[in-house]
Order: sequence, then structure tokens, then C-alpha cells
Amino acid sequence: MLNRFLSHAKKRCCRPALILLGLALVWRLSAGPFHSSALAQEKSPASEAGGASLAGRLVDPQGEPVHGAEIAVLVNGAEDPVAQTTSQLDGSFVVDLPPGEMETVVVEITRPHFWPVELHLSPVNVIQLSSGGSIRLPDLELTRRLTPGFWVAILSFVLILILIALERLHKTTAALLGVALVLGVSFVGGALNPDLFIFDFSRALEYVHFDVIFLVMGMMIVIGVIEETGIFQWLAYRSYRLSRGRVWLLVTVLILITSLASALLDNVTTMLLMAPITIQIALTLEINPLSVLIPEVLASNIGGTATLIGDPPNILIGSYAGLGFNDFLINLTPGVLLAQVAFIIYVMVRYRREYHVASSRLSAAMLDHLRESGRIVQPQKLIKSGLIFAVMLLLFILGDLIHLVPAVTAILGAVAMLLWIATDIEEMLKVVDWTTLVFFIALFIVVGALQEVGAIGLIAAGLGKLVDSSLIGAILVLICSATLLSGVIDNIPLAATMLPVIAFLNHTVPGAESGVLWYALAIGTGMGGNSTLIGASPNVVTAGIAERAGFRITYLGFLRVSLPATAITVAIGTAWLLIRF
Amino acid sequence: MGKILCAIRGGPDSRPTQEQAIALAKERGDELIFLYVADVSFLDRTAAPLVVDVDSELELMGWFQLAMAREQAAAQGVEAEIIVRHGHLRTELVAAARQVGATLILLGRPLEETALFDQESLQALAAHLQAATGAEVRAL
Repeated sequence: MLNRFLSHAKKRCCRPALILLGLALVWRLSAGPFHSSALAQEKSPASEAGGASLAGRLVDPQGEPVHGAEIAVLVNGAEDPVAQTTSQLDGSFVVDLPPGEMETVVVEITRPHFWPVELHLSPVNVIQLSSGGSIRLPDLELTRRLTPGFWVAILSFVLILILIALERLHKTTAALLGVALVLGVSFVGGALNPDLFIFDFSRALEYVHFDVIFLVMGMMIVIGVIEETGIFQWLAYRSYRLSRGRVWLLVTVLILITSLASALLDNVTTMLLMAPITIQIALTLEINPLSVLIPEVLASNIGGTATLIGDPPNILIGSYAGLGFNDFLINLTPGVLLAQVAFIIYVMVRYRREYHVASSRLSAAMLDHLRESGRIVQPQKLIKSGLIFAVMLLLFILGDLIHLVPAVTAILGAVAMLLWIATDIEEMLKVVDWTTLVFFIALFIVVGALQEVGAIGLIAAGLGKLVDSSLIGAILVLICSATLLSGVIDNIPLAATMLPVIAFLNHTVPGAESGVLWYALAIGTGMGGNSTLIGASPNVVTAGIAERAGFRITYLGFLRVSLPATAITVAIGTAWLLIRF
Repeated sequence: MGKILCAIRGGPDSRPTQEQAIALAKERGDELIFLYVADVSFLDRTAAPLVVDVDSELELMGWFQLAMAREQAAAQGVEAEIIVRHGHLRTELVAAARQVGATLILLGRPLEETALFDQESLQALAAHLQAATGAEVRAL
């Protein structure tokens, strides 16, 4: 289907259509949620005629709205309901009752994965309804029920994590397998046993954060244009020239470049571009490339924690929590900068011997090779893409003032790149890593299944009991658990799973409404990814590139450097949050 | 005159292999070709978005490593050719051997911590190369 779309897009007439489609999507994203309870709550003829109505709101044990519950009203002991409705996205419902004498009114509420509720209205309420009045019930908390569907969702998610960790399947295939399981069991199993039903397609898609998808897609196009210019490699080469053999200076500059690039673009891209030329520079200086590469990749994870767009977990957090670019800039970036300074000091101490033995006896031909690797290959493109990116940064910062969400800024930047620089849309569409976008969509659905069956709620309740009502306890538990888990689980699924847990804690822990727990998750997943070689994607790709150059980063070898670095930076990040909030 | 194909990655493991390849070429008067294979299969392990042309980056790095090897050979009076291929090591080794008409293929022995292959896999690779190319295969 994509091929058909792409071949159709070759025709010049379709480019404006694609641009219009992009703008339409931009408008749709800016317009707000896809559903509105207001639209669904139009008055029925019964209520317009002055009939009685019954309103209320359903929540789960974590205080989150329960959507899609069936509400039926039975009057005077009848077996068939006189009115029915379904609860909306915000959990609210309104049932319009036909006029008539009522002696008893029973409200039956049913929803998969919850115990059914039968509410007998009081005589006072019944009289009010009989006389055509309306009543609003207090919020009703439904009790979770563990069903076979619950176990299917849990096992599907665990299976994905194991398959990805053991590299048995491509990550996207593993995630799609999870989707196939939860939806397959819902549709086929649900027909045989209602307790196997998890959710249908429309409910599954509600869990997909399309603003994240479009933000990532937009940034992919932007980065795809910028990386072709050779700017990263040029910066690395200039660092080498600037340092004039002083390795400590070279490493410091490389750490700062990597950190800044990771904060504004993405840290995987940064390392994929920086690692090969870093290896060449290290070989030129006759030092072990790992003594530069490992600090660089650790710095990239630290830097990526600083901004909304720095790493995928931050993008997920920003989208879910409604945090903007400036929120991260004000509340998290200063702490990350402090952590980065401490990290540089640690690196200088750790590698003091390696950095003192550098020399360079390379021939002119080899230096030419290095220069060739580190040149700007497309200067015109660099100027144009740099200008567009500068405007994007401005829009990220000013976005809150003009109600511009980051996803829209990313799409605007991508479209600007397409129009002004890379006019071949087919080439640009190849730059977009569609398998990763599909992975995100599939992951959202599987995590959504966990939410749907109440698994996330159980985790949230357990965590809530652990921290009681201590905000400091919540911050410390979140950071520690995210840091430890990030070392063994990929931080993207980890962040996706923790988001609803934090949403619950924000309601229950006094002081958490400041949003501090979102930043605690960002620190745990971002800096925690430094703890092990498999803790974050930049670590894995850097190790892969190093291995391709004959320098293998072993698990233990990485740990010896990364564990102290993680401890130092996470401690400073935590201290920052405690001071800031 | 024979042709010696030596696959290298760079790094400390490749050094002994390169030196022995150069010594052999000098002794036998054979042509020497250093090969680097840019293999990006490690990217499958990551769950993050990838938009970089990693192939090109590895190619540049590979040319640098090969240029160092060629300089090392030139310093000992041996002229070496260098080639970069893209893909899986096993497949590209065979393709490169056929492309250059290699009569001898040299593979480095795995060292403890940094081996790409263990001893058993190396021997299996050697057997496969011999069968596929007809060239002599030596693990140094």
C-alpha cells in the first residue's frame, strides 16, 4: 500500500496534495482530542421534551476515567432496560429516561475487566426522576476484576520484552506479535468467553499517541537532511585540530558536542555519526578509541535527557503529561548541565593515564583521509537546514505562547525541509524509519492493553502503597527503579509503561501535581540507560561500530566506567529535582 | 603470481594478521589485497529510530583502517590493494575472493576477549570459504 502511495506521489500533482495532507494532519493534531464528550452528549428528544435524566461519572481505583462502560437503567423491576448509554472518554455518562411513574430505579453498569455494579437509587432520587427532574450521581468507583484477558495482556507484554532482549525477533516483529495476540484473543477468544475480551480496534487506537508518531517522523526527516551535510563529522575533526594533541581538551570538546547534539537531535543519530570519526581520530592520536568512545556515548545519554526532543522517553513523557519544550528547559536542563560537568571531571580522572600518552605519527596521506572524513559535504544544504532548524528551536521555545505543540513544529520543520531543500519526497520518505514508527504504534497498543485490563493500575497501586504519601519517597523510588530497570529493559517500553503509573501517583501523592515525577522518570530512563551496555540504544550502536573497527566493548569493561558515571549523574539529577521542587 | 586476500577490521586483533599477511606476500611475491566488510546487522538490536546512512559512515572508517594497513605494507616494501564491501562478512568474503581471484585467504585467529568468531566458528568459516572459492584458507 505504501509502494502504491509512493509511486502515485511521484506525480508532481501529488506533492501539493501531500503537503495539504500534512497540513490537515497538523490542523487535526492542534484541534485537540479526537473525541469530545460534548459531541456525544447531545440532548436526545426525551430530554429536550423535558424528560428525566441521570448523569454520573465512572472512575477506576486509580481515579482514571472509565470509558466504554455500558449503563442500563431498569425501572419498576422490569427485565429490559428503559434506557441505555455508554460512558465517554472522560468517564461521564448521561441517560435520558422516558416520562412515567417510577417506583424503583436500578442502574446496572458493566464493563470488561471490572466487576458489574448494580445501583439502587434512593426513594428521594426516584421521586425526583418521576417528576421529570435530573439527578447527578457522585463519581462511582468501579472495582477491577482479574480476567483471563488480564493474563493474556501481561504475557504478551513480557513476551515482547524477552524476545527483544534475547534478539530472537526484530523489535517491530516482536511488538506486532504482541498486538496480534491481544487483538486476536479479544476478537476470537472474546466471542467464546467475554472475559478474554481486552479491547477492539477503535479502543486500541485510542492508546496510540499520534502526536509522538508525528513528532518522531518529523524529526527523522529533519535529522535526515541535517546529517547528510557532514556537520557532525566536521565538528569532530575541528575538535581534533583545535586540541592540537591535547587529548583531555579533545575529549571535553567531543563530550560537549555530543551532549548538545543529543539534546537537540537524537542521541542514536549523534553516536552513529560521531563514533566512526572518533575512532579515526583516536587512531590518529594512537590512543585506544574506547577511552574516547565510552565517555562520548555516556555523554550522549546524559545530554539526551536535557530536552523534550532529546530522547524517545522524553518525547513520550512530554506527550502524555502535556509538558512542553520550555517545561523541560526550565525544570530539567539545569540539572542535566550540572550532571554533565561532574561527568567530565569523572572522565578526566578515570582516563588520566590514557590521555597522557597520545602522540601522532601519521603520514600526510592518512591525515588527508581524516580530513576527508571530517569535511562538510553539502555546504548549501547545511546553511538552509541550519536556518530551518534554528526557526524550529524558536518555535519549540515559543510554542506554549502560541498553542503550538511540538509535533506540529516538527511537521512544519519537515515540510519546510522538503519544500526548500530536499524536493524529492520519495527519497525523503526513505529516510523515515517506518519500522520504528510501526514499533511505537504496536508498543502503544500493547501497553494500552495492560492499562485496559488494569495491570498498570495494580503496579500504580503497589507503588502508591510503597511511597505512602511521601513525595521524596516517590521521587527516589521512581528514579531508582527506572535507573535499575533501564539497565536491563529498553527504556522506550519502560517509559511507555510507567507513564500511567505516574499519572496515578500525581493524584495521590501530595506535591506531585507539580510534575516532578515526570522529570524523575526522565532522569531514571535517560541517565539510567548509561548503567549497562544494553541499557540504551546509543550504547548498543556504539558498541556495534566499535566492534566493526576491531575494538570490542565488553559488558564488564563498559560497566567499570558506566556504573560510577551513572551513580554520579543520577545523584546530581536527583539532588537538582529535590532542590528545584 | 598468486593473490592473497586478507580480511581485517582494524584494532589490536588485526595487527598480527596484517603483519603476517605482509610477510607472506613479500616471501611469496604474491599480490596483497586487504578487505574491509561494512556490516550493519548490529543495528537490528536497537529499538530507537535510525535515520543515518550507517553504511557510508562505516565505509569511511573502513577506508581509514585499510589505508593504515596499506601504509604498514608499503613501509615493508609491499604494495597492497584495498577494497571495501557492504553486507554480511561471510557472504562478502566469498564475493570478494571471487572478484579478485584470490588464491589464498587469510583469517585472523580469535583472541580471547575480542573475538568476532570463536575457534569452532572460525574453522567452519574456513571450510566454507575453501568450498565456495577453491582458494587455500589459512587461519593465522
